[in-house]
Amino acid sequence: MRMGGRESGGGRGQDRGRKKQYKKKFLFRKKKFCKFCDEKIKYIDYKDLRLLQAFTPERAKIFPRRISGTCSKHQRKLMQAIKRARLLALIPFTSD
Amino acid sequence: MLQYETVFIADPTYTDEEVDDLVKGYEQVLVAAKGKVIKVEKWGKRRLAYPIRRSEDGIYVLMTIECPPSLVRELDRRYRMNDRILRHLVVRVENEAQIGPSPMMKPRPERDEILAEPLIAP
Repeated sequence: MRMGGRESGGGRGQDRGRKKQYKKKFLFRKKKFCKFCDEKIKYIDYKDLRLLQAFTPERAKIFPRRISGTCSKHQRKLMQAIKRARLLALIPFTSD
Repeated sequence: MLQYETVFIADPTYTDEEVDDLVKGYEQVLVAAKGKVIKVEKWGKRRLAYPIRRSEDGIYVLMTIECPPSLVRELDRRYRMNDRILRHLVVRVENEAQIGPSPMMKPRPERDEILAEPLIAP
């Protein structure tokens, strides 16, 4: 607790209020979840282009786990499927 | 006997009859090795995501087969020998879903339907 300076007027109460606001920022972040666990997709098919395209946005790079929320098990399977589809020229390796 | 799934991309200059002959040829190899064909899917001529050997299109054929593991090498060799096959893939069948019709055979959804589908949350 810092006393003096600009904060001296508000004291304890104001400080607590700020903390609350800081917490609130993150309150409404949507919880990420693994699409494959959620929909119980056991096998990720390399022929299912619509599914794969959802995970290879814009530049055709594989959507990272930290952003998509896919679990590691399914991310590995997804990677395998995407690579197979790329080999068969079903989806691009890259696009400008 | 194991189940495999194989896709090959033939040169777009192939005619429908030639593709049929090609498939028949592979079927004969299979039968000779006491294997069998579970299903054959012709996806037809598709635009490739990137050109392969200067070709922009390719004729896709999928075959689901049951054969002894030794035949995979033979099949691979045959694909490689044919200059007019642009790409091929042989993988094990991991899931029953691969036996039924593939997503490629589903009718193409309407454009509006695709747009209406929600994107994954970032």
